Amino acid sequence: MNRSLFAILSLGAFVHTASAAPAPLQFNRDIRPILSDKCFGCHGPDKEHRKAGLRLDLREEAMKAPKSGDIPLKPGDPAASHILTRIMSTDADEIMPPPEAKLPKLTKAEVDTIRRWIAEGAEYQAHWSFIPVQPVPIPEPTKDTPPARTDMDRLVFAHQAKLGLKPRPEAAPSALLRRVTLDLTGLPPTPAQVRAYLADTQPGAYERLVDRLLASETFGERMASDWLDISRYADSYGFQVDRDRDVWPWRDWVIGAFNRNLPFNDFVTWQLAGDLLPNPTEEQILATAFNRLHQQESEGGSIEEEYRVETVSDRVQTFGTAFLGLTFECCKCHDHKFDPLSQKEFYQMFAFFDDIDEAGLYSFFSSNDAPTPAMKLIPANTKKRIKELEDGVTQAVARLQQIADREREKFPASLASAPAASAAIPGELARFTFDETPKTKKLANSIDPTKPVSLTGENRLVPGQSGNAVEFSGDEALNLPVGAFDRVDPFSVALWIQTPDVKERAVVFHRSKAWTDAASRGFELLIEDGRLKWSLIRFWPGDAASIRTTQPVKPGEWVHVVVGSDGSGRAAGLWISVNGQPAGVEVLKDSLSRDIGPVGHDFITLGERMRDRGFKGGKVDDVRVFSRELSRLEVLLTFNEPSAMAVFNRPAAELVGSEREFRFENYLLAYCPEFKKAQEDVKAARTELVKTLNAQREIMVMKETPKPKKAYVLFRGQYDQRRDEVFAGTPAALNPFPKGAPSNRLGLAQWLTDPTNPLLARVTVNRFWQNIFGRGITRTADDFGSQGAQPEYPEVLDWLAGRYISSGWDTKALLRTMVLSHTYRQASAADLQLLVDDPENVLLARGPRFRLAAEMIRDSFLQTSGLLVQKLGGAPVTPYEMSEAFRPADPDKGEGTFRRSLYTHWRRTSPPPAMMSFDASRRAVCSAKRERTNTPLQALILLNGPQYVEAARVLGQKLHLQTQGNPEAMIEEGFLACLSRFPDAQERRISAELYQDQLAHFAAHPNEARELLKTGRTPTDPNIPLPEAAAAAVLAQALLNHDGSVVKQ
Amino acid sequence: MNSEPLLPRRHFLKNFGMGLGGVALAEMLHGSIQANEPAKGADQSGEKPHGLPHFPAKAKRVIYLFMSGGPSQLDLFDYKPLLVRRNGEQLPDSVRGGQRLTGMSGNQSSIPMVGTPFGFNQYGPSGTWISDLLPHTAAVAGELCVIKSMFTESINHGPGVTFLQTGSQVPGRPSMGAWVNYGLGCENSNLPGFVVLVTKGKGGQPLGAHLWGNGFLPSDHQGIQFRPSKDPVLYLNNPAGISAESRRLMLNRFTQLHEHQQAASPDPQIESRIANYEMAFRMQSSIPDATALSEESEATFELYGKDAKTPGTFAANCLQARRLAERGVRFIQLYHQDWDHHGGLPGAIPKLCQETDQACAALIMDLKQRGMLEDTLIVWGGEFGRTNYCQGKLSANFGRDHHPRCFTVWMAGGGVKPGMVYGETDEFGYNITQDGVHIHDLQATIMHLLGIDHEALTYKFQGRRYRLTDVHGKVVKPILA
Repeated sequence: MNRSLFAILSLGAFVHTASAAPAPLQFNRDIRPILSDKCFGCHGPDKEHRKAGLRLDLREEAMKAPKSGDIPLKPGDPAASHILTRIMSTDADEIMPPPEAKLPKLTKAEVDTIRRWIAEGAEYQAHWSFIPVQPVPIPEPTKDTPPARTDMDRLVFAHQAKLGLKPRPEAAPSALLRRVTLDLTGLPPTPAQVRAYLADTQPGAYERLVDRLLASETFGERMASDWLDISRYADSYGFQVDRDRDVWPWRDWVIGAFNRNLPFNDFVTWQLAGDLLPNPTEEQILATAFNRLHQQESEGGSIEEEYRVETVSDRVQTFGTAFLGLTFECCKCHDHKFDPLSQKEFYQMFAFFDDIDEAGLYSFFSSNDAPTPAMKLIPANTKKRIKELEDGVTQAVARLQQIADREREKFPASLASAPAASAAIPGELARFTFDETPKTKKLANSIDPTKPVSLTGENRLVPGQSGNAVEFSGDEALNLPVGAFDRVDPFSVALWIQTPDVKERAVVFHRSKAWTDAASRGFELLIEDGRLKWSLIRFWPGDAASIRTTQPVKPGEWVHVVVGSDGSGRAAGLWISVNGQPAGVEVLKDSLSRDIGPVGHDFITLGERMRDRGFKGGKVDDVRVFSRELSRLEVLLTFNEPSAMAVFNRPAAELVGSEREFRFENYLLAYCPEFKKAQEDVKAARTELVKTLNAQREIMVMKETPKPKKAYVLFRGQYDQRRDEVFAGTPAALNPFPKGAPSNRLGLAQWLTDPTNPLLARVTVNRFWQNIFGRGITRTADDFGSQGAQPEYPEVLDWLAGRYISSGWDTKALLRTMVLSHTYRQASAADLQLLVDDPENVLLARGPRFRLAAEMIRDSFLQTSGLLVQKLGGAPVTPYEMSEAFRPADPDKGEGTFRRSLYTHWRRTSPPPAMMSFDASRRAVCSAKRERTNTPLQALILLNGPQYVEAARVLGQKLHLQTQGNPEAMIEEGFLACLSRFPDAQERRISAELYQDQLAHFAAHPNEARELLKTGRTPTDPNIPLPEAAAAAVLAQALLNHDGSVVKQ
Repeated sequence: MNSEPLLPRRHFLKNFGMGLGGVALAEMLHGSIQANEPAKGADQSGEKPHGLPHFPAKAKRVIYLFMSGGPSQLDLFDYKPLLVRRNGEQLPDSVRGGQRLTGMSGNQSSIPMVGTPFGFNQYGPSGTWISDLLPHTAAVAGELCVIKSMFTESINHGPGVTFLQTGSQVPGRPSMGAWVNYGLGCENSNLPGFVVLVTKGKGGQPLGAHLWGNGFLPSDHQGIQFRPSKDPVLYLNNPAGISAESRRLMLNRFTQLHEHQQAASPDPQIESRIANYEMAFRMQSSIPDATALSEESEATFELYGKDAKTPGTFAANCLQARRLAERGVRFIQLYHQDWDHHGGLPGAIPKLCQETDQACAALIMDLKQRGMLEDTLIVWGGEFGRTNYCQGKLSANFGRDHHPRCFTVWMAGGGVKPGMVYGETDEFGYNITQDGVHIHDLQATIMHLLGIDHEALTYKFQGRRYRLTDVHGKVVKPILA
């Protein structure tokens, strides 16, 4: 190779064939990158922003004369093709791209390429990644091609031969062992493993090694680490408030899925739509947490719908990047400028991902609750316990029914023992008629005079339904002294209301801390769209029981309302009565799974709620609160006392029909001692059950709503600018939606994993390749669209993708194919000119060599020193560096400081600072690719960070103990531990000098030695002389920081 | 930027075997964007979008005094006697015009206007109105260009701050300082190009490291927080027990090991590793030098106020900013929190002013007397303004909600017109009546002053060329000197 290759590479891949061989130009490889980058922005798929009506991404369109009359593209005739005139123009008004586009001019080479392409006939090709994965013939080896290990090698070598390149010989065994161990487990080999591997001279040693690594549990940790970037996994919600959240069980599921080699199509399907599979397992539902790992907001005053739209958009964007390698987010505001994706199609994708009962904000005041929909993570023994408790409730309810049946037999004779008819209702806790004209702002409670209420602010007394009523300002509350009812408490509230207008939303009364800021936890009576809505809520909207009247409340009229709850926590146990009659209701929600408290607001409040819309101008009169479920007759009594009393006063013998039924019900609910006792038993059983359910951890998952939500094109992506309604659908430019597939996320997953889908296998194979070779076959792992990079080896990508699909998406087999190839096994050291000319190793003419990822560097230090606590999964941990994070956290005292880095607590506004310096992803959004930098700040971390200094100290001590302090042996063992190889003579000499320098220094400065050995929590062996222990630590530090230790080669 | 493959192309061949003298920290921290060299983003598409600066720069560096939480423009700069006269009256619907309100006050049934309880006077050549709360700022009014017509799209802090800092309301894009650092690099080879200073121990709305993040730019462009501790930069100092002498001895041998490997198997990456470790060693003295406030004179401390002697205060950070500016740091971002006065504004805002006023003015005067004001751009302001009506019920201890429709930012030095007032709001202090400046316009203007065409400094990521100003932003030409 010579300088010319450098020049060619720097101009872009499209030129080298032009100079290397006179083969015809290919649109996808040679032309599309130029047109896409320089022209499609104004002359591409985006019709709204298209200039001069000219479209160059379709051949037919490009051959049509636009208004001006000049034909842009005349195949075979460059001179008559106007695009060439324009790109070559020197006139600022003529030249393309125009100066205001702020795009670089086409280079001369690019212009020449376009001219030649037109001369050759200006053929177009469908974009390479949008056509189905192609079968790839394996080239016959010639006598010039080097011996290949696999068919993949034959493809690589054939292409290299065209460029006059040859692969390098196989890397040294120790280098290969180190490389493949890091690639498949994220950890370096131990000295014992190095020795054993070097000693294994039997054929197939490398294959056996690869199989051992693929079978190890650390494999799953290594693979999960990359999937966490894709899935924007974090242990906190992000945005400004950024509270912690419990999503690590999903992370552990990912590790497990890789370890047992779950076929990748299932891996994807479960994450997208596990909840929609027939009879889904808990594991399949857990996998769907993938869609919920986006950032979430809870800052006070945020607008719920704005963030719901943001959230669903993030799901679409993540889906696009992770599985299709397409940049969907471009189409949120307008048609894609480069790819055939329309804005409408973005919202068709949106429609797949919005059909869950979620709020756009998570609860500020009760952030321990997983935002709905959520799944309980219940240990097996607790499940058994819950079943018993549920049976207990069922039995208690059955007994209640038995008593009711028995009492029916005895009725009405049993009335003889009941108290005489009276307008007083048992269980009444408070009553406010607002009728006196108080001297102070206190209003009397006729049930308990010690507990009046206070009128505040602009709430005022006005003429009411009878006497006075309270009229609300909408901004001030009327707090009752009672009403801390929980889910299991039967209770009722009666009141007269008058609304001045048809309220879109107004809080009549509630017991809760706040609206969205507290997920509405508690109970509430609202007017919504003019109708009464009565709810018990744990977390709105996915964990609640809620009903709403079918008829609106008439404005300007006094209406009597009674609402009640029977303590079951089910929608069927809620009721609303209007003007003495049961109101017709629809069930809005029936998913309450826990208690509705604690609330931090232990009373009923009328007329106002934090950041919610109050009952402005609304009036309320005669408010009565009961600690039991009222009978229908009692309801009537609170509405129309005379007609109810008439029924009450009817002698037992004269009771017939519904009156008899009402009296019986009233007898049971208001008096019957046996029934009351049985009710208490039911409540006790429910209390136990709810208590146990409350204690269960939850995780956010997907759970489809019974009916799809309406979705719309949002003008410029703005949440409140709805345009045409859209329905779930996939982009027309890709494979058709499978016939008969459901129009939901499951159908989407079927479409995605269908063998005709051109992208999933390519994108996935490319990313695994990137993890191992340091760079994807197409280097834009996150963009397979028109603006993405044309792969240097498209046939390798398609060959691997085809095999991946036909193998049943066998990920371990895919990786095995890659690492067994000679292409992978090549030595990474190469001719200096090749290193300089092909720095990214695009041509694969040498083995991979690049700095380890952030996690691998830290894990290597821990493993090499023996400090690593190798334990699979579990709650996130806080290592030393978190004390230096932007929002500092105290490091764990126990093993948490020594776990693998993928378990480090990931707080989005305060990520681990050392990891960030090594280019770890911030995990705000889906990221398919990390940058790789080398900076002095990294050197400071590895030399001075307590985690790394402690590791060096402990490694030094280990080496010293292993070798009884023999410097030569320490150096040899140190090289094996850190670089997985033996030192050469020079390295032995320099390292010995390093050790002696330090020994002399620490002998002269014993206090420094003492201080150094205190770093970290691991104890020091007192038997090693101080200067030797310190010098060994510095020796270990040098070896751990060595290029051969932090770079995979 | 020093992504592995790139550094060698420029340095390796000329530096290989020639020792380390020629490799500067800036190049390693930020390096790629020297004149006519392709940046990483450019490298992806084989183009050279930069050629920076695009035109002669008026400002060489920026000190951004970010007032987090949204200071009340109505009590500091945007004087509205009408609000004082009509204190307590309902804000007319015609003024509000359907503007979306935050969830804090959006459902409030009444919205009474509230006038400032503080006195105002006019200062400087343009008669700039400034509140009595800011006497020191008032004294340098002749240096200020006060923009009263800023507006934004965000109504909450998280998105608002993120929008101002990154051009997008959703976290994940590169910060303004990262863009500048990417575009221009650092003038000093031994310091980072983008330094962040946060006032210590303030409450208020939380900040997050994403605000000075590199987004999709290479990580060496992220803001480096200098903390008021013995380790201004993460793990700058040797661990206990490692002296400079011992470290030097180790590094000598460490370099020999690498040079040996280099001789056996030449690789540009090893050269860069050697250089990084040497530069880290040099930073151990260059950063303490830059942060040694104790070297400052008593007169200087007097200028900045007594707080300046307490590390981590806003005053100390302003002084620190000047030292960094002197040493060529390109973008210095200060944060002072707790301006979010939803309630208790009359009691709280004087304290915030007292914490910041003198040091802001001192920074201007100090730079001026050192001849640095002309090429240092100072920007002061928050993420949005505050409402002309009170949040909740009107009382003597009122508060103001977030207001995106108008707020005040001032700039000084670095190519802006001194003693100027730009833009106007209506007499209610609710809407802009003249010369509105959007966040993207402010960003475009700052970039312009630095010699950067905000439309041309782009980075290709996931198939699209991104820029700080998204697809918007106009340079505010009338304020340019």
